[in-house]
Amino acid sequence: MIALHDVTIGIGERTLVREIAGEVRAGEFVAVLGPNGVGKTTLLRALCGLRAPLAGEIRLDGMNVARMSALERARRIAFVASDDAMTDALSVREVIAIGRFPHHSWWEWSPRADDVRAIDEALALVRLESFADRPFATLSSGERQRAWIAMGLAQGTPVLLLDEPTSHLDVRVAHRILALLRDLARAGRTILCVLHDLNEAAAYADRLMLLGCERMLAFDEPARVLDPATLESAYGIAVERLDTARGPRVFPVL
Amino acid sequence: MPLRLAVLAFAALLACGASLLVGGSWIAPHDVLAALAHPHSGATATIVWQLRLPRVAIAACVGAALALAGALLQGLLRNPLVDPYLTGVSAGCAAAIALAILAGIAAPLLPALGFAVGLAAAIAVALLARRGSGIDANRLILAGVSLSALFSAIVAFAIARANSPDAAQQILAWLAGSIAGRTWSDLRFAAPYLGAGALLAIACIPALNALRAGDLRARTVGLDVDRAQWMILAAATLLTAASVTLAGVVGFIGLIVPHLARRTVGSDARALLPASALIGAGLCAVADAIARSVVAPSELPIGVLLAFIGVPAFLYLYLHQEQRA
Repeated sequence: MIALHDVTIGIGERTLVREIAGEVRAGEFVAVLGPNGVGKTTLLRALCGLRAPLAGEIRLDGMNVARMSALERARRIAFVASDDAMTDALSVREVIAIGRFPHHSWWEWSPRADDVRAIDEALALVRLESFADRPFATLSSGERQRAWIAMGLAQGTPVLLLDEPTSHLDVRVAHRILALLRDLARAGRTILCVLHDLNEAAAYADRLMLLGCERMLAFDEPARVLDPATLESAYGIAVERLDTARGPRVFPVL
Repeated sequence: MPLRLAVLAFAALLACGASLLVGGSWIAPHDVLAALAHPHSGATATIVWQLRLPRVAIAACVGAALALAGALLQGLLRNPLVDPYLTGVSAGCAAAIALAILAGIAAPLLPALGFAVGLAAAIAVALLARRGSGIDANRLILAGVSLSALFSAIVAFAIARANSPDAAQQILAWLAGSIAGRTWSDLRFAAPYLGAGALLAIACIPALNALRAGDLRARTVGLDVDRAQWMILAAATLLTAASVTLAGVVGFIGLIVPHLARRTVGSDARALLPASALIGAGLCAVADAIARSVVAPSELPIGVLLAFIGVPAFLYLYLHQEQRA
């Protein structure tokens, strides 16, 4: 379980969101929403210990994340950053194998049987088995995104944080990835995922965390968070809500 | 991969063995083997043990050290244009030796002095490149280039102020890179630093592999990137400083050998580092053999020779492979 105790996040001296409080239970899929620049990525980085919160405390299963060593954190929390350029000529399998780093001592240079198994499973989960030996640089941006997700999966952690994992993906692959994340949550992993598409988030996540200017506006079930007034205060745009058999859907009023 | 490394090891050994045969005069392979087996058996044994073997060993160590340092720094900065002299070691070393020659300091003291100032220059560059508890790649390149330019100006000043052609010649010999006149005692001085640098490089292998995914992703998989950066920089600096002390400024190896190694065994540091060291050792041994035999009894500077032969050969290979690709 991840517990946020009045966590304030920011970059340098600049505060982005103040006093975030709440808990994310094991096996829960939480989508983090909010306008650009509001602090969603910074929150994920704070959760995995890459950036210390300005105030407050983040606890994972009772342990303060800031006090864990980098390796301890990496064995518990995987962070899939949004896609970026990669200059090295690695194969897809080599990229995913980097996710096994925290499970090795510095003198263990060769992959063990459990590494090979974890990498193969991750490749299968994102449907990249046939791409395993292809140079990473030759992948499309959507395929690269899936490979980064596979690297996070190969890390084999109980908590998986993802920063915009559906960016660059076509609608079919995006939904496959979100369904995969939901299934991983059902199987017991804790998933926190930054998304921009409110309807995608509502369709797959158990709860939504909506960040606004300097504060958390809501952290609740999709039906409660996708409230036109709340969304308007977050995004500054009028929103219309349609309740369907599959849950609420929202549309901007243009 | 192990097969390719074995082939490279055999080729490096062959290059070192062949370079024992050539020099001022040709020594047949069986005579070299006899001399190696019986170190006190006569004039040939003395030539092999006291003149050729130390030179071949020094050439191989310099080649291996510079190629390793190049591979380490290119991996750290993920920049294929980086060479080991970026750290300011060679420029600092050359400036100190140039000033020492100008001041008339005894020749046996020069390597130790050059080593100390080279390390100090590298530490200054590293401190200038510091950001937080780690190293900023752009700052490292800027600081290395700036300080190297300053030290080059000091060398130019020393050459201009040299009061004898001999002193200017001595300074230029350091800058051109040469193993002429080096003995076992020079290698004994540099060996601990070469050994420490190589051990540190081996310890950096997992970090180098994690860094291939970029700093951010390396951090997310639990690598202490700041500590890894300092370790890699320290290893490269020790290796470069020790090789500059042994052979002056030998270009080409540190920049281009890691490229050749990457094309041969890929970018996995487990294979890349040994492959770089083996190719560097073999190339440097062959280059030194050519340098001391083509215009015997005089010598060509090994750095100049490597640049003359190596750069066009590398460009041909590179362009040829690009066309085929």
